[in-house]
Amino acid sequence: MLQMTRAPSRADAAPRRGALLAPLLVGALLAGLAPTALGAPPAGPDATTTPAAAGTTAPPGEAPAATPADAGSPLATSPAVPESSPDTRGLDQEIQDLKKDVVDLNKDLFILEEELLFPANTQVAVFLSVDVGQFFALDSVQLKLDRKEVINYLYTPREAEALLKGGVQRLYLGNLKVGAHELVAFFNGKGPNQRAYKRGASLRFEKGVGAKYLELKIDDRQRKLQPEFEIKDWE
Amino acid sequence: MRYALIGQSAPDFALHAAVGGNARLSEHRGEVVVLSFWSSRCTPCRTQLAALNRSLATYHSAGLAMFGIGVDDDPAQAREFARSASVSFALLLDPAKGVSRSYQVDNLPMTVLIDRNGTVRDVLRDYSAESEQLYLQQLRALLNE
Repeated sequence: MLQMTRAPSRADAAPRRGALLAPLLVGALLAGLAPTALGAPPAGPDATTTPAAAGTTAPPGEAPAATPADAGSPLATSPAVPESSPDTRGLDQEIQDLKKDVVDLNKDLFILEEELLFPANTQVAVFLSVDVGQFFALDSVQLKLDRKEVINYLYTPREAEALLKGGVQRLYLGNLKVGAHELVAFFNGKGPNQRAYKRGASLRFEKGVGAKYLELKIDDRQRKLQPEFEIKDWE
Repeated sequence: MRYALIGQSAPDFALHAAVGGNARLSEHRGEVVVLSFWSSRCTPCRTQLAALNRSLATYHSAGLAMFGIGVDDDPAQAREFARSASVSFALLLDPAKGVSRSYQVDNLPMTVLIDRNGTVRDVLRDYSAESEQLYLQQLRALLNE
């Protein structure tokens, strides 16, 4: 699936400590917090019901039977309304809160991971956008930084469609030292008349102190009925 | 022989299709995915692809996605096979065999079943009437989860 904020790459394919750390921590949090926060006993062979439900749960297949003490109560006349409904609602709310906490924590870990792996002073990010796309159907993009291939990304029809709808994909995120560098991009796809089409574009740029953002732009040149490929430096 | 990937997260891939559009496995999270590894030189592969196609027609609406992955060295040969196979699911090309290696393909045809969470659940290493029955049982169980 096309992730407009994070594109998988060959370079990314190698397991990274930070990337592994986040799900592990989230998993540990879920495993460790859930029973205590919900007031449940440690999971065991019999831990199939929650304490809230344990007092009222009937054996499987049986309706909850009214005890003699319950006989005079209003609930005894309406067995369709479970006695534990308010408790269940409270439990649902707690679960929702916990899930929200996990999502927030995951977001924080993701930001922390990015800050650690790609510090602002060395960070370089390459984005890709497609405008119109009448004369070019994108198939794949190969990216070389200083003559070294950093990514070769294959697009599915869904991803290409998302780009045509205005999506901007972060194709590459990495680190570069201060100085002069060269970015070369090769675009593969189908050009006018459904012919195989391969074009390249390059840009020499100066990396200073601070993050560098570059954009690969695929545009239509209406006058020549040809696609146009451009690399823009976001100053 | 135990398949080492069972219970593991299915390795993601993006491949060119012999016919049709490219495919990426992670786009199909939430669906039960069947991967069938084939080759143009493998005779039972053609029969198996036809059987898989029948199951796709039946269970597609229940959230089933299916991909055939060709391991031929020669993409032209694989394309020719794909055109003649006339199945309704995408037949992908893996001439570099990166995906085949990551799925530890050691027999053809080989079918891998992936659940809605993206976990490898079952593998079938041959094709016969019995294995087709087993495949349908496993597939129904995954679709019902």
